Amino acid sequence: MTTLHIVRQSAFTTSDFAQCLQTVKDSDCIVFTDDGCYNLTHPCIKQLSVQVELKAIIEHVNARAINLTNTKATTITMNELVALTFQTDRVITWQ
Amino acid sequence: MTLHQPNKSLALLNSKAPYANNAGKDALDIALVFGSFEQATALFFQGDGVYQLMQGQDGDIISVKDYLKTFSAFEFYDIEDVYVCQQSLIERGLASDFHIEQVQVLNQHDFASKLTTHSTILRF
Repeated sequence: MTTLHIVRQSAFTTSDFAQCLQTVKDSDCIVFTDDGCYNLTHPCIKQLSVQVELKAIIEHVNARAINLTNTKATTITMNELVALTFQTDRVITWQ
Repeated sequence: MTLHQPNKSLALLNSKAPYANNAGKDALDIALVFGSFEQATALFFQGDGVYQLMQGQDGDIISVKDYLKTFSAFEFYDIEDVYVCQQSLIERGLASDFHIEQVQVLNQHDFASKLTTHSTILRF
């Protein structure tokens, strides 16, 4: 049973992402959109103790000039996000 | 009897990232209005607000009007005092790689004391 977590806010501003990390399980998937993309460089991402796929929306990352080289995230398009919602059992949007 | 008008100055404290909402744009608009009336205006960037200064951003990619480009007009409005919180940069792993020139990076103490030298502070 997998869950797709869509994170839209920066962990520097809200506790949404911290709460997401408390609920995430093995083989879940986290997609960062909008200001959620800033979380890819937030220290708390290192606390991830489960095996999770990290993805980010490419336009949102590029618009914010975020550098992904030192992260484990891959980029996807909005269409691929829509497809992902069909591949998981449930979706939680953290906003 | 002469009415002594104390030396008033405005500080605009930016605390939001550029694209999630209009806070940054609103702060910029007010800075330019005050600048055009030759009022002493200073800009402060703290927290996620420091993201507004990062080099290489492009709001057009996400179809958002890119107001960050207007920052380069500061000199025409005599806005020379731009301060950024060093602690906020460190927390976010950001280098002092800004898209405008005259940004002064202040440690937490100096940032707070500089901010409170202004008579009016508006936070966005």
